[in-house]
Amino acid sequence: MPTRQAELALPGALIGVVAGAVAGGLTLLAGQPAGWAAISALTLALPLGLLGTGYSILLGQNLFRPGVFAPAGLYWLAGFPLARLFQETVTGLAVFGHVSLPGGVAGFLAYQAMVSLGFAIGFLWLHERLMPHWLMRLRERNPRARELLAAYVEHAEALWLAKERRRARKGAR
Amino acid sequence: MDTSRTPAAAEPGEAAAASGQEEKVWRAGGLEPMPIRTLPDAPPSIHILGPTVFLVALGVGMGESYMWPRLVLLFGPEIRWLFLIGVTLQAVVMLEMARYAMATGESIFFGAARVFKPLMWFFFVVAILVYIWPGHLSAGAAAFEQITGIPWVITAVAGLILVGVVFSLAKVIYNLLENVLSILIGTLVVGTAVVAAMVGTWGDVTSTITGMFAFGYLPQQALSEAWFPVIVGSIAFAGPSGMQQMWYTLHLRDSGAGMGAHIPAVRGLRHAGEEEAMPSRGFMFDTSNPEEMRKWKGWRRWVTFDALLLFWGITMLVTVSFTVIAQAAARNTPGVRTVIESGEREAALNAMADSFASAGSSVLGGVFLGFIALIGLNATLGLFDSFSRGQADMSFHFVRGAKKLGMSRLYAAFLWGVIAFGILILLFGPADGPSGILDTLAFLSTFAMGAYCVTLLLVNNRMLPKPIRPKIWTNLIIGFGAVFYLGMLLYSLFAFGVVVG
Repeated sequence: MPTRQAELALPGALIGVVAGAVAGGLTLLAGQPAGWAAISALTLALPLGLLGTGYSILLGQNLFRPGVFAPAGLYWLAGFPLARLFQETVTGLAVFGHVSLPGGVAGFLAYQAMVSLGFAIGFLWLHERLMPHWLMRLRERNPRARELLAAYVEHAEALWLAKERRRARKGAR
Repeated sequence: MDTSRTPAAAEPGEAAAASGQEEKVWRAGGLEPMPIRTLPDAPPSIHILGPTVFLVALGVGMGESYMWPRLVLLFGPEIRWLFLIGVTLQAVVMLEMARYAMATGESIFFGAARVFKPLMWFFFVVAILVYIWPGHLSAGAAAFEQITGIPWVITAVAGLILVGVVFSLAKVIYNLLENVLSILIGTLVVGTAVVAAMVGTWGDVTSTITGMFAFGYLPQQALSEAWFPVIVGSIAFAGPSGMQQMWYTLHLRDSGAGMGAHIPAVRGLRHAGEEEAMPSRGFMFDTSNPEEMRKWKGWRRWVTFDALLLFWGITMLVTVSFTVIAQAAARNTPGVRTVIESGEREAALNAMADSFASAGSSVLGGVFLGFIALIGLNATLGLFDSFSRGQADMSFHFVRGAKKLGMSRLYAAFLWGVIAFGILILLFGPADGPSGILDTLAFLSTFAMGAYCVTLLLVNNRMLPKPIRPKIWTNLIIGFGAVFYLGMLLYSLFAFGVVVG
């Protein structure tokens, strides 16, 4: 069972890790010290990857609904600032021996929370793009994937029907 | 303006009635009438990605990543109210472009030809003059050179050939491009958010956002010969510029939106033989049928969602992030401000990247240039496809004998034509176009935007059945657009003797 859950988590994990690690790869290409680039990339890729995994798993457990922005936005509103705090703290300690956050902890977290909205839009955009394809691949051998794929289809139909009903009510008035 | 009557042989506001065996048609202008067909059902809004991805890919370019951050550094965040107006105007233009394309399955170029054929040929010529120069490749390829050391001309030529090969091999070009661009845009949004998170501060983002509501702010310095043309150019580049909105109608059609469902998609050259017969005109639905009108409202909701959330939202998000990044760069390294102000685009982008690298965020210099390269790639993919699509559409319908070739082969001919010309120019000529005509090209690009607002008013108010024509407030906004673009352009020309910068 855990393997099946882990399989479902791949799209979220992938997006999180890539978002964090792309920074490190490009830094190396730009000729910056490899150690520094690696720490910076790793300390962001790790928490974002874990949070991405968490998102996909929670979606698999029906706690999130496919394509709905508000819960994903709230999830990253809490998660993204913490991921950045982790990165700044570890990188600061490893490279400079101390941590300095612009605007203090509160200011730093408030700003990160604001930016997290943009990150959430991009994350959901990519996730909704990758997840159905991934589920289609898994559906033969993973019953949970089959259920989730059915939920995607059902959710799309439910939205459509709800809209139709609203329209019909409006028309009747 | 009373435009309630369609011209010539048209039955005003009604589909010409069917008599016995005669097919029901809608007559618009002097061209072939459109047969009446059923409008398909609109998809639900869960379909969060649609043809708007092309407009976002084309629109999020140099305006958002460079021109507006530069103006903010020069005049302060308050100047961004002009950006807000520019992008909002473009969102309304997008909705109106979609109105004609979804109602008929025809491009806006065909609509222009229905009003007055020379109007369409004007856009055909402007597209060639403005878009065959491969200058738009240079910023992205130069950023890639900074990261990898590979000379930019090599990257640009390789990129051109790659684009040609990929689009020639694709079975249905639209599907391929939508998938590729979706992933690229998603990566761009996630990435710019990460970069902005690493370099910006609370103050940057609040000043950037509040600046958007400082309506009427225009410092004396902005009204000078040196800066007014730059501001006009930046407004024209807020969101999609030049003819990009017109090409969007072709993408809508190929995605099967509205009556576009009755028109076959353009195929890659290798699959041109499998192409279904392309009809010689679009179709209309029965606007007197309440069931059809209900579906039409569904399509309008679908495209409005795209316009507001995807187009407006993402364009705003990316530009706010890049402005925050530029403000951070200027704060970290004071010299950057001078370079950005001087107007040397590549020098400014490099200076911004260096500023991040030297200020301790070594990661960000490379990431920043990576995004500029990504934006360049998006623009190249989108522009080459769109240009070829538009020219092929006009040639297919209005050049004698072109129908024999078929739409897909015409598309391939224009695509490889512009690629071959681009490679020759990159190797032997001026990438942006001959310096003597640069001003004319910049003028034409902005002029086309004013001209398409006028075209939209004419097409939507004269060529569509009454029940689906735009409302008065929409006409007022589009009319304002025409006055805004043409007025600013002509004011710049006559008051300062300079076209857009």
